[in-house]
Order: sequence, then structure tokens, then C-alpha cells
Amino acid sequence: MTLLSVRGVTKRFGGLTAVNDVSFDVAAGELVGLIGPNGSGKTTLLNILSGLADPDSGEILLDNVPCQGLTPERLAHRGVMRMFQLTRVFRRMNVIDNLLVAGRALGLGADEALTRANALISELRLDVIRHLDAGQLSGGQMKLLEFGVCFMVPPRIALLDEPFAAVHPTMKEIMGDFIRSRHEKGQTFILVSHDMPVVVELCPRAVCMNAGAVVIDATTREVLNDPRVIEAYLGGQAA
Amino acid sequence: MAPSSATSPAGNRSGAQLSNTKTTVEFRAALVAMAIVALIPLGVSNPYWLGVLIVSMYFAILAGAWNLLAGYTGQFSLAPATFAMIGAYTTGLLNHYFGVPPLLGIVAAVVVSGLVGLLLGRAVLRLVGPYLALTTLSFAEIMRLVASNSIDITRGDLGLGVAGLLDSRVGWYYLFLGALVALLVLFYMLLRSKAGLFLQAIRDDEVAARRAGVNVVFWKTAAFAISAAASGFAGALYAHFAELVTPELGLIGQTGLIVSMTVIGGMGTLAGPLVAAFLVYVLSEWLRDVGGYQLVVFAALVVIFARFFREGLWGLARAAVQRWGRA
Repeated sequence: MTLLSVRGVTKRFGGLTAVNDVSFDVAAGELVGLIGPNGSGKTTLLNILSGLADPDSGEILLDNVPCQGLTPERLAHRGVMRMFQLTRVFRRMNVIDNLLVAGRALGLGADEALTRANALISELRLDVIRHLDAGQLSGGQMKLLEFGVCFMVPPRIALLDEPFAAVHPTMKEIMGDFIRSRHEKGQTFILVSHDMPVVVELCPRAVCMNAGAVVIDATTREVLNDPRVIEAYLGGQAA
Repeated sequence: MAPSSATSPAGNRSGAQLSNTKTTVEFRAALVAMAIVALIPLGVSNPYWLGVLIVSMYFAILAGAWNLLAGYTGQFSLAPATFAMIGAYTTGLLNHYFGVPPLLGIVAAVVVSGLVGLLLGRAVLRLVGPYLALTTLSFAEIMRLVASNSIDITRGDLGLGVAGLLDSRVGWYYLFLGALVALLVLFYMLLRSKAGLFLQAIRDDEVAARRAGVNVVFWKTAAFAISAAASGFAGALYAHFAELVTPELGLIGQTGLIVSMTVIGGMGTLAGPLVAAFLVYVLSEWLRDVGGYQLVVFAALVVIFARFFREGLWGLARAAVQRWGRA
């Protein structure tokens, strides 16, 4: 069953077409890797999917209901949760409160939100820093915290933009395990990453973008062996 | 990996307590400070100094209200004194022209200033930083000039005579103190609720707050409205205390004092601005003989605290206690 449908989405910034007639579907429970070289339009597409930018044309359906133009908060309430490439946490609030914000805003009661926050803190191994302000955390810990925020209330679809970038291998493993276990339970993901071994390991399917357009949408192995993808990344012809 | 089961009910309670500890400690410290203030009339009967302390409490309410908006929500409005003026004129005009009793006028002042705050909050919703500050400053000046130039209605700079409420200065002292403590409790309850979480989230990162599902439009507007209503309440009380309302209540210098008190006390702390309101206003009275230089002193203090001591006097006091505890 299709959960998210992206149909002919285009976004221009002046003379630059950042996203050019992009279409693909994501089924419920799928874990789709979204790859492509820098500047290929991945983050702009996630901005559109998470309500931070409006498309110039095209349509986005969530559960077959159009959702383009909705604000990020309304999309969050409809189950679209996004992790940013440049970490966004509440720096003057502690780790628990960072998690509680999402829990309370998405409708959990105080006790239930706290129970979930504690469970996430434990699962993401943030126990030692639970009462530190987010601004005092390392870059990797902040990433892990923001990752946790996305799962305070299990989303319909999690849009993860470069969760593994500049993160210690241990934390990468924690996030990888988390994604794997949630995927096994039916959680839907779009995962943007330049870390190809992780994409290969986690994502059965990948969509590759270049210059704003979808180059190929296939199994991850097929995508990574496609000459157009190799050319897009390396700027030359495949052997 | 299955979710951990390491979250016992006891663990939850502990987490909740620790999560709100900072606010609770600040609230208790503020209550202790207010208890000390409550004892002052037992030793000070000089009407002049009681008057100074009453005006200090007026400013403490304004500083607390502005702190909710600027310190906790990150909305650097430069119109707190304007809402006090709006509250004062609301009850003043109702009393002067229609004979509305002061208590009813004060309620009307809270409603009117809250509504104006709500409208201003909606109007400046998308503005941040200097743009927000300059727009609210323009609003403040426009409102003051309207009050000053509507001579047929407000008597302009001559001021509008308003009925008093109490005869005793000590009575006024405890009325202002009661109002201050009531607002302190209200703000404390607000900050401990999910509203407090949302306001602080908006302050730290509006985009992240929206991503987390926080209705930023609603909560920013609510912060403006609550802060304005509290300021209007203070202004209305002051109007009946002074028995006179003038446009001077909305002068930018008044806003400067409120900002000084909040920054010196500690923006985003519950106790700091309230305590600093007393220190700054009493100091300004002591420095009255040196004329305009008192403003230079406060401006310098604001720069020093904003640059070197972001958490103000409250932060310094907390650090001192922590050092003392470790020693």
C-alpha cells in the first residue's frame, strides 16, 4: 500500500531548478535510500515533503490525501517527522525536555511522554547526558538527540537527512540498529545519506537524484551499479 | 533492538522532578525574595520609600511579563511599557468618562491590553531579531503619540485624572505585592506546563519546534497576549495608585528600564528580573541627583551583563552557591 506519493514535483529558486519533475512512491513499511551528489536536490525535496518549502508544481499525497502546502507542524501531526542535515535541537533545554517537546506537542500526556522519553534515552544510550542542556552536547550526541525527537511518537514516515554525517562509529551503530529494528516493525523511512555502505546495508531500495531530477529508482544494488549514478558521483563514464 | 524497559514509574517521577528543578528553584527563590519584601513595611514607614518600593513592584510585574515574552519565548518586543500605558488608559478613560469603578476598569484593562497584544503578536508573527524589535518600537511610539496628541480625549501630556482605590500607602504596597506574587505563581504554573516547554522550544529554534509539532503561531501569539495582559494589569493598577495617567507611561525610557531590569536580573530566569527590578529602581532613585547619568550607568550594566553574564545576577548567584557547595 502506498503511503507517500510524490508526483511531478518541481521547485525553482530563480533560474535554478532545484527539484525537477520528481516522482516516486513509498510504500508503507519501506526503507528508501535517497542518494545523489551534493546539490542534487535531496534536501530541497525533503524540505518540500516536510512542509518547509512549497513546490512550484506537482502533488504530494500522504495516504492518498494531498498534503503539499501544509505547515511542518500540521505534517508532524499527520506523522511526517524530519531530521535535519544541520542539527536542530533546543540548545538551552536539557535532553529530556527536548524529547518532551515533541511528545507533548504530538498529543501525549505528561506521564506517557516522560515514559517514552526515558525509553528513547535508554535505547539511544543517552542516559549519562539526560540532564545536560542540548547546547552542551557533542555534535554526535546532538544528532542522536534529534534522531530521538523524530521517534517520540512513532511517525508514519521518518525523513532522515544525513543522520550519519560526522558521527562517531558507535553512535552510527546505535542509529543503524534503531532504524533496522523499527523497519522490521513496519516503520517507513526515507534516508538521505552519502554513506554508501550504510545505504546498501539498510535500504533495499534507493532513488538517485542528480541536478534536481530522479536518475534511477530501483534496488540499491542496481542503483549503485548504474552507469548514470557512477557518472553523477564521479563526473565520468562508468568502466 | 527492543525498547529498554528501564523506565520504572519511580524513574519517571525522578525525571519529571529533575526536568523542572531549575524553574522550581527559581520560583522558590522568588517567593523568598517576596517574603522579605513583605516584611519591609514593618521597618520602613517613610511614605517616599514605600512609594519607591511600590513603583519597583510595578516594574517587577512589567519585567516579569516582558521576560516571559523575550526571555522564555525569544520575542524581543520593545513595547512592554506601551501595554502598561494601554492598560492605564483603558481603566482611566472608563473611569473618567463613564464612572466605571476601578476594579472593573482593571479587568477591562487586562482584556484590552491582552487583545491588543494578541493583534500585535499576529502582525509581527514572521518578524525576528532586529526587525521585530524595530516594528514593536514603532508601534510603541505610534501608540504614545496617539495618546499624547488625542488631547480632546486623553488631555494629552496634561494627564488624565483617575479615581484612587485605596487610601493607605501600606495597603497599596500589599496590593502590588499580592499582584506580583499572583503573577509569579501564574508564570511558574505556565512554565511548568507544556506551554513552558513550547515557549522555550520556540525561543531556541522555531523551525525545530514546528518540526516537533508545536503550533508556533498559536504559542507566539499567546505569549504576546499574556505578556501584554500582565503589563496592562500593572499599568491599570499604577493608574489608580498615581491617580493620573499620562503618555509618559509609554516612553521608550520606561521600556529601557524594563529591559535593564530583565537583562541584569537574568533573561529567561523566573527570579532574576523580579529581584533586579527592585535593585535597579531603588538604585535609580539613589542616583536621581546625578540626573541623566543614571541611564548611562544602567546602559553600561546592561552591556556588561549581556556580554559577560548572560544569566544575569541570578546566574552569578547560582554559580556562587555551586562554588560554595563544592568548597
